[in-house]
Amino acid sequence: MSKELIRLRDLTMEFDGERILDGINLYINDHEFLTLLGPSGCGKTTTLRIIGGFLTPTSGTVTFDGECINDVPPYQRQINTVFQRYALFPHLNVFDNIAFGLRVAKLPKDEINQRVQEMLEIVSLKGYGHRQIQSLSGGQQQRVAIARALVNRPKVLLLDEPLGALDLRLRKDMQIELKRIQQAMGITFVYVTHDQEEALSMSDTVVVMDKGRIQQIGKPEDIYNEPKNAFVADFIGESNILDGVMLEDYKVRFFGRTFQCVDKGFEPNESVDVVIRPEDIDIVAPDQGHLVGTVTSVTFKGLNYDIIVEFKGFKWLIQTTDHCAEGSTIGIRLNPEDIHIMKKSEYSGMFGDYSSYSAEYDELTEDAGDEEE
Amino acid sequence: MKRANRILTILMFIFLYIPMVVLIVASFNTGKDITQFEGFTLRQYGELFRDQDLLGLLGNSILIALLSTAISVTFGTLAAVGIHRLKPKMRKLVMSMTNIPMTNPDIVTGVSLSLLFVFVGTGLLGNRESLNFWTLLIAHVTFGLPYVILNVMPKLQQMNPALTDAAMDLGCTPVKAFFKVILHEISPGIVAGGIMAFTMSLDDFVISYFVTGSDFVTLPVEIYTYTKKPIQPKVYAMFTLLFLLIAVLMVGMNLLQIRAGRKKDSKRPISKPWQIARRCIAVAVALALVVGGGFLFFGNRQEKIILNVKNWGMNMADGTDDTLDIIAAFEEKYPNIKVNMSYYESNEALYSQLKNGGITVDVIIPSDYMIHRMIEEGMLLKLNFDNIPNFQYVDEEPFKNNNSYDPTNEYSVPYTWGTVGILYNSKYVDEADVTGWELMWNEKYAGKILMIDNSRDAMGIAQYLLGYDVNTPDKAELQACADKLAEQRPLVQQYVMDQIYSTMENEEAWIAAYYAGDCMLMMENNPDLRFYLPEHQGFNRFTDAMCIPTCSQEKEAAELFINFMCDPEISGANMDYICYASPISEAKNHMEEYLAESDIIYPDSKILEKGTAYKYLGGDTARYVESLYQAATKTADNQEAGGSLVIPIAMLVVLVGAGGGLWILKRKKRKR
Repeated sequence: MSKELIRLRDLTMEFDGERILDGINLYINDHEFLTLLGPSGCGKTTTLRIIGGFLTPTSGTVTFDGECINDVPPYQRQINTVFQRYALFPHLNVFDNIAFGLRVAKLPKDEINQRVQEMLEIVSLKGYGHRQIQSLSGGQQQRVAIARALVNRPKVLLLDEPLGALDLRLRKDMQIELKRIQQAMGITFVYVTHDQEEALSMSDTVVVMDKGRIQQIGKPEDIYNEPKNAFVADFIGESNILDGVMLEDYKVRFFGRTFQCVDKGFEPNESVDVVIRPEDIDIVAPDQGHLVGTVTSVTFKGLNYDIIVEFKGFKWLIQTTDHCAEGSTIGIRLNPEDIHIMKKSEYSGMFGDYSSYSAEYDELTEDAGDEEE
Repeated sequence: MKRANRILTILMFIFLYIPMVVLIVASFNTGKDITQFEGFTLRQYGELFRDQDLLGLLGNSILIALLSTAISVTFGTLAAVGIHRLKPKMRKLVMSMTNIPMTNPDIVTGVSLSLLFVFVGTGLLGNRESLNFWTLLIAHVTFGLPYVILNVMPKLQQMNPALTDAAMDLGCTPVKAFFKVILHEISPGIVAGGIMAFTMSLDDFVISYFVTGSDFVTLPVEIYTYTKKPIQPKVYAMFTLLFLLIAVLMVGMNLLQIRAGRKKDSKRPISKPWQIARRCIAVAVALALVVGGGFLFFGNRQEKIILNVKNWGMNMADGTDDTLDIIAAFEEKYPNIKVNMSYYESNEALYSQLKNGGITVDVIIPSDYMIHRMIEEGMLLKLNFDNIPNFQYVDEEPFKNNNSYDPTNEYSVPYTWGTVGILYNSKYVDEADVTGWELMWNEKYAGKILMIDNSRDAMGIAQYLLGYDVNTPDKAELQACADKLAEQRPLVQQYVMDQIYSTMENEEAWIAAYYAGDCMLMMENNPDLRFYLPEHQGFNRFTDAMCIPTCSQEKEAAELFINFMCDPEISGANMDYICYASPISEAKNHMEEYLAESDIIYPDSKILEKGTAYKYLGGDTARYVESLYQAATKTADNQEAGGSLVIPIAMLVVLVGAGGGLWILKRKKRKR
């Protein structure tokens, strides 16, 4: 991995006595695409604003290239930002918006011209220089905002929910576009989002945050496959989370049965959270299953069906490509690598129960995420 | 419903704009009488543009408005930005505090500012002339600021706060971010606030009145002192132009705002009239600053002695109507002296201005009893008559000898004199009834009688009628006079000063008591008018004389000025304009003949002997006279006011009705 560029040490932030950040420790490497992921109010935007220099932390330090930059104002940092809803200057046209930073830096006219044109090309807005900001679509404004930041050739680009205001299709395109730009320009991106799919698909490193604390840092695969606690397991994808007891290494007991697993290092008989991803569960004939349950609801999702199965009064979500009729009895098998064991945490028992599952569930969580914008 | 709504709206507009329409029509009227439109003319406008004094005053008003607006806009915008950064609770508090000066009665603001300036200027800095151009400017800034803040705040609140962050992110320091980004966003608010501050400053009278020094007077303050004679039609012309200027400014501002609003929605790249307009305003403000700065620079640097003269309004020939411009003539003779004229509307107003302090005045021209009072209170300087050789021309009797106000002839040099008599219209008044002051009490002419509206003259008339001494401190006699005035009350149409001109000339009233010189002027406009002095009963003979108050800084120049005014040639030319009698007999040789030979202005000496002068009664008696006068006449006004209240009440009813109607309609619509 390349060298470390930014380090946050023991950051805390308080507004009016309310603790927004609580001991953030994080390092960001050069050329890395790092995403701060979490629900609204988790402190991810605050962290980003501290890196950008718009907020001064209550305690802790921010170092950039080994130097503490706590007291360096934003206009002296080699960092640029793409703001939520872009914050383009309405009185300037596209060209002037992009040229803004270069003009402030008093670069020669020719160079400004050349760099802006170059940037317009990179963000696919060639020929839009004279347009008024108000005449652009959301996606186009988004590109101007990115161009305006990147034209200054910052070492780090901060992006604060840059795709939040776009529709789904445009968002997917822009995700690919952003990744392409990041790789082409070879600079560090610090990206804030509440959309876990966006985070997983774009990032080199994902930092999951909640309640002002970092819950887990890791590569997207690790975060998904090895969530550290019930919050991460639930926030990243769907999870069935059950109470279990770790009998000994590689042996876990739940639902009155003992299962083989791949985890170790727990105390004998330690209570644990057991995570089973809905797509990892194999459906078999009732007589062959480790567990037998009744299908209570089936939802067609395109790629697969989401089915809710009741086991001894506890409802699981299972994703399968096979159709199961509502009311039918099915058996399931769990392979040792499908079972993920987590230590108990403050989040235990709060997530992973699909008893109240309904089609609206997804919408509810999306609404919650939008509130932060 | 819709129709009713429209009618009410139209009514409202008529109510709001009809006074302006009347003014504009009057400004194009050939005749001097506003009640009759005699024909269209642009003469008033021509006169206006030839009147250097009036234009100068207008220039002063515009200068102070532009300067105070520029300062208000600068500091108001900065203040708004500062307030905007406060926490919401604090912001609310500060905003309501900045709004208070706007709702505060002007008179309170004016008096408190005046107190402050005199306290700081005279009390702390020891500067006698503590009220000047700068205090006026500061005062205008204080009431302009809140308007700017009030207009800029909403724009700041509407602005996307991330814009500042974005500018800083792109390398701007906070100051640069303000100029490059925030200023553009809030400029409509700045322009709106600036225009409001400008118009408020341009027409402010109340506050300005209290903080104006003698060196710099604005138009509204000056206009207020034009009370001795009616407002000239050229002033209507000026007001019309001012109204149009403000209207154009306001409409222009609205158009620009509509345009700016449209810009946000338009998909096309738009031209930039908005930016051009902004640039124009910026240029205008910059220009005003340069002109203002230059004016002050040269105004203060000039080596000339500034001589501050305070006079009654229209009490010195100024070059209009083919008269001599006396100030110009004086300045031509003494090129190192610059005369600065300002005005007062009554002896009492002059007295209180001098008492309040904070101003420098070198020459004043009060009336006899006031001179007496000022001498007693040590407010006047002794004159050095070596500098006033022309005093030799002043008549011995009754000025050098036996004058009532300055017996030792040390403090004053007479300027004009005159009498108070009865003006009546011979078309309506039977000559047989013109027998004495009792004409003013004649029931035959009830409702057509005008009584002079000041306590000393009114009480005097009653005293002459009843045969009492006009300078008596006897309370019983004074009470009897007050009773007499109360008895006259039901017959009196109005208690007036300067309104007498139009009322008598239009024959709305037939009988009035007034000063001979003014009566002479009215008689020129209406040949049916006659003047009568009740010599057998007695009448007031008054003298206005030039004095130097103790606050004078240029006593010698003041004495030169007084000397100049005593030149018979100058005095004669002056009387051609003001129509009063000169205390210099030789001046008659230099006046127009009809004035010099007029027995109204110069009554026969035998008649004149019957006249008496008012003396200063002392504070207690003066106050007693004033209260008796008020009790005897003013309650009458209120009773009588029923008739004159009809129009305002009708207008109020229309306004309330229209407003209420609109409100009800709106509510009904909402319910639907």
